[in-house]
Amino acid sequence: MSEENNSEHSQKTQPQGGKSFVWGLVRTTFYWAIPALIIAGTGLILFFRMSTYKQFDDPLINTIQSLIAYVEVVESVDDVKIKLTNEPIDPSYQRALSGRYWLVGELNENGRIEPLMGSRSLYGATLTLPIQDARKVRGQGGNIVTSIAQGPDNEPLRLAIESVVFPGMGERAIVIVAAADKRPTQQAVRRFSYLAIGLMSLIALALSAAIFMQVRIGLRPFFELQRRIADVREGRARSVVGVFPIEITPLADELNSLIGHNKEVVEYAQTHVGNLAHALKTPLAVLINESKGKTTAYAKLVERQTTEMSKQVDHHLRRARAAARGQSIGEVTPVKPILLSLARTLPRIYRDKDLDIHISVNKGILFRGAQRDLEEMVGNLMDNACKWTHSEVNVTVERLGPTNAKIKLVVDDNGPGLAEEEYAIVLKRGERLDEATPGSGFGLSIVNDLARAYNGSLSLGKSPKNGLRVILILPTVVDG
Amino acid sequence: MRILIVEDDLDLSRQLSEALKDAGYAVDVANDGEEGHFLGDTEPYDAVVLDLGLPVIDGISILQKWRADGKKFPVIILTARDQWSEKVSGFDAGADDYLTKPFHTEELLARLRALVRRAAGHTTDTIDIGGLMVDNRSARAFVDGSPIKLTSHEFRLLSYMAMHVGRVISRTELVEHIYDQDFDRDSNTIEVFVGRLRRKIGVDRIETVRGLGYRLLDPSKDLEQAEED
Repeated sequence: MSEENNSEHSQKTQPQGGKSFVWGLVRTTFYWAIPALIIAGTGLILFFRMSTYKQFDDPLINTIQSLIAYVEVVESVDDVKIKLTNEPIDPSYQRALSGRYWLVGELNENGRIEPLMGSRSLYGATLTLPIQDARKVRGQGGNIVTSIAQGPDNEPLRLAIESVVFPGMGERAIVIVAAADKRPTQQAVRRFSYLAIGLMSLIALALSAAIFMQVRIGLRPFFELQRRIADVREGRARSVVGVFPIEITPLADELNSLIGHNKEVVEYAQTHVGNLAHALKTPLAVLINESKGKTTAYAKLVERQTTEMSKQVDHHLRRARAAARGQSIGEVTPVKPILLSLARTLPRIYRDKDLDIHISVNKGILFRGAQRDLEEMVGNLMDNACKWTHSEVNVTVERLGPTNAKIKLVVDDNGPGLAEEEYAIVLKRGERLDEATPGSGFGLSIVNDLARAYNGSLSLGKSPKNGLRVILILPTVVDG
Repeated sequence: MRILIVEDDLDLSRQLSEALKDAGYAVDVANDGEEGHFLGDTEPYDAVVLDLGLPVIDGISILQKWRADGKKFPVIILTARDQWSEKVSGFDAGADDYLTKPFHTEELLARLRALVRRAAGHTTDTIDIGGLMVDNRSARAFVDGSPIKLTSHEFRLLSYMAMHVGRVISRTELVEHIYDQDFDRDSNTIEVFVGRLRRKIGVDRIETVRGLGYRLLDPSKDLEQAEED
C-alpha cells in the first residue's frame, strides 16, 4: 500500500473537446436541406421563366403566321416583288417606337435585315441579329427561331424570326420578323426570382429552427437523466429514478446497476480490510503478550518488532480504509442518531467519570457520506473530548447557510485544552502528546484524514470553558 | 472470581487463561461461539471476555442472547474490530467494556478488575475490611499491614467473600465462583479451604451460618452495629 493518496482518478469529459450532438444533427440536416432548397428554387425560377417567355412568344408567332399569310408575290418583268395584302391589326405596330415591331426583309451576311416592309412603329429603322442566330435562321428555313436584337429606341428586344422561300421567288429567302420589348418580361422573371429566393431562405431558416427545437425536445430525457445522475452524486437520491422513454430506460437501469456495483466494490474492499485487520491483530496480540515481561534479548526483540508491526498494521489499514472512502456515491447519513448513540455509549466507556454530554442538532441535518465514516469521525472526536474533559462535553451541529453544502460540527470540553503550538502536532498522523493516556494516538489525525477525503476540514481552538474546541466541517446535501 | 474467556485463537486463549489464573481468577475457556454461549448460559461467571469474530455463533449474537435471557454478568469485548460503528453496536448489544487487539494483558486485567468490583459495588481494587486488606490488583492479602501467604484457591475464596462482605454465601455459590468447570468439585473441600483461611486471617472473621453458608465479617462494622443495638 503506498503513502500517496490516489483518490483523484476521475476523468472528466472536456466540454471544449466534445462536439455538440444538437449542432451535429442540425448541421447534417443542412447538408441535405440546403441543396434541396437550392434545386427546388432554381427549378421554380426556370419553369416560371420558360412559361413567361412562351406567353411572350405566342403573339410574336401569331404575327409571323399572319404576315406569311398576307404575303403576296408580285412578278414583274425585271423583278419579283412581294407585297402584303393586309397588315397585322395590333395598334402598337402603328405607333412609333411602341416596343412592338414586325419586319419583312432579307437577311444579309452580317445578320442585318435589309427591310422590304416593316411596321410603322419601327420608324424606318431595321434590326440586326447576332451572327450565330442569323446562321441558324438561314439553316432552319421554315422553322421559327427566337433571337434578340436592339430596337430603334435602343431597347432590348426579343424576336421571332422565320426564313421563308415563297413560290416564284427562286432561291431568294425572305425573313419575317416579329419583335417586342422584353424588359417588362425580364422584370417579371427577376421579381419572381427574388421572391423565390426569399421564400426559400425563409423556409431554410424555419426548417433549421424547427430541427433545432425538435432535437432539443428529443434530447430532453437525456438532460433529465443528467439531472437525476447529479442527484445521486450529490446524495439527493440513492439511485436514478424517474419516468424515461423506453429508449433511455435501459441506460438508466445500467446506471443503477453501476451505482449498485460501485457500492458493492466499496463494501467488499472494506470487508476485506476488516478481515485482514482481524487476521493480523490476533497473532500480533499473542506475540506481544508472549514477549511482554520476559527479559531475554530475544523476547525484547520480538516485543519491539511486534509493537512496530502493530503500529504499521494500524496505520496502513487506516490508510486503506480512507482510500475506499469518499468514493461511495449516493450515501446519506442523518447526523442526530449517530450523535445520540455515541452519547449513550461513551458514558459506559468512561464509567468512572461523571460525564455530562449535551447534544444540540436538528433532526433533518444530513451528512453526505457513509454512516461508518461519520461514526468514526464523530466517535473519535467525542471520545477524545470525554477522555480529557473534567465533566462537560458539548456537541453542536449546524448548517453553514442554506446555499452552502456544508455542516459544521463543534465539540467543546472543559478539560485542560491544548496550547496553540500543539494544534498542528496532534493533527499529524500518529502523534499523541501524552504517552500515558491510553489510546493509539491516531484519533485526531484519523478524523483529519477522513474529513479531507470528504472535502471537509478539521480545526482546533479554545472552548468557552477553556477546554479544547474541535470544529469539523463536512459535506451535506444541497437542496433542489 | 470466575471468568469465562470466549476466544477462538488457541494461543491467545491459553495466554489469557494463564494470565487470569496468575491474577487469582478461576478461568473457563470456550473456543467457539456455541460452547461460549452454553457456558455463559449455565455457569454463574463473574465476568466474560468475549471475542467478536467467532466460529458457529458470532460474539454480538451471543451477547444479545445472554442479555435477552437476563444474564447480568459484566462482559468485556475483545476484538480486532476497532471502528466506532462496531464499538457502538457492541455496547448496544450489552457489553460493559471494549478492548481492541492488540492489547496489553495488564490493561485487560485492569479493566476486568474494574468490571468485577463495579458489579459488586466497590469503587477501588483494594478492599479494606477492618484491618484485613484484600488487594485484587496484586492478588495478595494483608492483616494489619503484614502480608499473609495464600494459595490461589485460598485467595479466590477470600477475594470472592471480600467482594460480598457481610453477605451469607452458600457453599454451592463458593464452589461455582472459585473453581473452573474442569475442577473436581467437592463441596467438602470448601470447608477445608475455609478452615485454612480462618487460621491465616483470624477465626472469627468468617462466620458459619448453619445450613446457609459462610459470611465474612467486618469487626469494626459489627462493633458499630453492636453499639447501635
